[in-house]
Amino acid sequence: MRYFLQKLSQFAIVFFIVTFVVMILMRLGLNAPGDPARTLLGGTADQGLIDATTQKYRLDSNYFTQYFFWLKGMVTGDMGFSVPNSLPVSELIRGRVMTTLLLGSYAIVLGLIIAVPFAVRQAYKRDSAFDKVGSGLSFAFVSAPAIVLAPILTLILIKENTITLWWPLNDYQVTIGGWFPRIGEKVYPWQDLGAHFKNFFVPTLVLTLPIAAIFSRLLRGDMVMTLQADFVTLASAKGVSPRRVLWVHALRNSLFSLLTSVGLQIGGIVGGAIVAETFFDLDGMGTMLVTAILSKDLFTVQSAAAILVACVVVVNLTVDLLYAVLDPRIRHIRALA
Amino acid sequence: MTTTISPATAAAPEPALPEAGTPTPSKRRRFKRPPIGYAFAVVFLVTLTLMAFLADYLPFIPYPDAKILGPDGRPGRYEWGPSWTAWFGTDGVSGDVFSKTIYGARTSLQVGVFATVFGIVVGGALGVIAGYFRGWVDRVVMIITDCLLALPALLLAIILVNRLDDYRNDTEWLGWLSRKWQIVLTLGILATAPLARIVRAQTLSLREREFVLAARSIGAKPGRVMFREILPNLIPVILTVAFTGLSILIAAEGALAFLGLGVEVGTPTWGKLIDENRNKIDEAWWATMFPCLMLFLTVLSFNLIGDRLSRRFDIRQAGV
Repeated sequence: MRYFLQKLSQFAIVFFIVTFVVMILMRLGLNAPGDPARTLLGGTADQGLIDATTQKYRLDSNYFTQYFFWLKGMVTGDMGFSVPNSLPVSELIRGRVMTTLLLGSYAIVLGLIIAVPFAVRQAYKRDSAFDKVGSGLSFAFVSAPAIVLAPILTLILIKENTITLWWPLNDYQVTIGGWFPRIGEKVYPWQDLGAHFKNFFVPTLVLTLPIAAIFSRLLRGDMVMTLQADFVTLASAKGVSPRRVLWVHALRNSLFSLLTSVGLQIGGIVGGAIVAETFFDLDGMGTMLVTAILSKDLFTVQSAAAILVACVVVVNLTVDLLYAVLDPRIRHIRALA
Repeated sequence: MTTTISPATAAAPEPALPEAGTPTPSKRRRFKRPPIGYAFAVVFLVTLTLMAFLADYLPFIPYPDAKILGPDGRPGRYEWGPSWTAWFGTDGVSGDVFSKTIYGARTSLQVGVFATVFGIVVGGALGVIAGYFRGWVDRVVMIITDCLLALPALLLAIILVNRLDDYRNDTEWLGWLSRKWQIVLTLGILATAPLARIVRAQTLSLREREFVLAARSIGAKPGRVMFREILPNLIPVILTVAFTGLSILIAAEGALAFLGLGVEVGTPTWGKLIDENRNKIDEAWWATMFPCLMLFLTVLSFNLIGDRLSRRFDIRQAGV
């Protein structure tokens, strides 16, 4: 418990510092009074409106007061107003968050579904042809950033390619691709499940393949180490079935790096989503943030960044707690501390 | 410990000595396997670097702003596919994609290397100091790195580059900070956090070793212990992380350019090429695919070298 509180306070400090620094960064160079409001409202806004906005959000006071008022607004649900979108920021985020949430969770879950069985089998059949091909593939995908994968997958899956075969099937033509729409439309699963998956499949793939590769590399490495441990030999020796040894005894003790990495990837998924959403014109949090930063939409950036940091903090805490669930030894050490 | 890594010694396959007992088949095979991937990575990177920095003097690389005339003698959009006239085809402004890709490599490599050097100097220093002094210094450094890692890296990079650009326009003494150096600075800051963490972790274990104790007991000051005793032992770790980090930073530079936050207008980069030509992927796949391929091969090569180094020095870098 004490350990948990200590971690919580540490993460709270991180949250406040990051949100504060983001606020200062967004206001860099806007030093004259009224400048932030003018940026916020656009060049043509009249003086009365500028003064009113400055008053409302205390934009003429020092950074700490501004931060305090913004934070107070956040807590009470008022995230400010986004002028380029002429919407309250909370409305704007509500409209966008689902896309990224779905995209991100598909990517992580699909990544785990692909990575875990592959990695376990690779570790079990170490140095076999399967292991080598798997390692090579995962190495290649680790090195394939989203801006590389997105065009390649577009070429293979979205564009219609007519391929003319040569000998022995002289001039026989096959058409592959053209299975998915070029531009992702925001169709939610409760509206039309089929169309939803069609629209989200390629962007998800762009995010998930590198993630799956990272996961499987980590898990394979750890599994190889675990399978050499004495307790695995003992379990086999006392007659536990190989399948159970592999999937229960060994897997459970190999999950630590994977867990850390899952946490990191959840925290960083918006980074990948920025590229994927831009490429496939899906309007989610990623595209919203980029537009907001470029158009100096102060409150949107601040509030969205605060939400992201809060998510990262919560994920980190959860990962920390899961460590203790997985390994009784950690629970014990922490209880003593 | 040897810290100089020449490709020749690193690439030489180690002799498979008959060990006592029976060596497992897997072990034997691993000693014999020639390092194809590593050799490819070194050759590719050396060639690419040479071509990129000597591009002005090489006769077979046109200037990036040269117009390649189409078959009818006039410049046009996407006139050539991959051919002898234009090796990687031509793009929407009838520029040569091969030349733009090579000049793009110059930008990417420069940005990546400078940002990594920045990350090594700042992150390494922070890490060594935090690991050596521990206590509140360590706390402060860890909070800084936590803060840097709390926001998605690409998002932080977009904010920093965008704001630095505005800030420079308002501030006289920052005139030298062109777009390229803004990106270098931004990516360098991002590279600082993971490097600081790894160096700190290594320093924490190194400072308990006997040679550090010996140095301290004959009266060496902290600065000397850190620089002369601990730092040389950190070089393998830093080198390994630097290569892996370089691949991540080059990918990040590509992503920034793709989002419109690349270097100055007129300088070709891979990300910009991909962004400009992606809507024409149906008619002219070459203009998008070749920059993609180059970016992929570069990232892959740095990863391959990083992987080889980490095996050689037995370094685990799960956290990166």
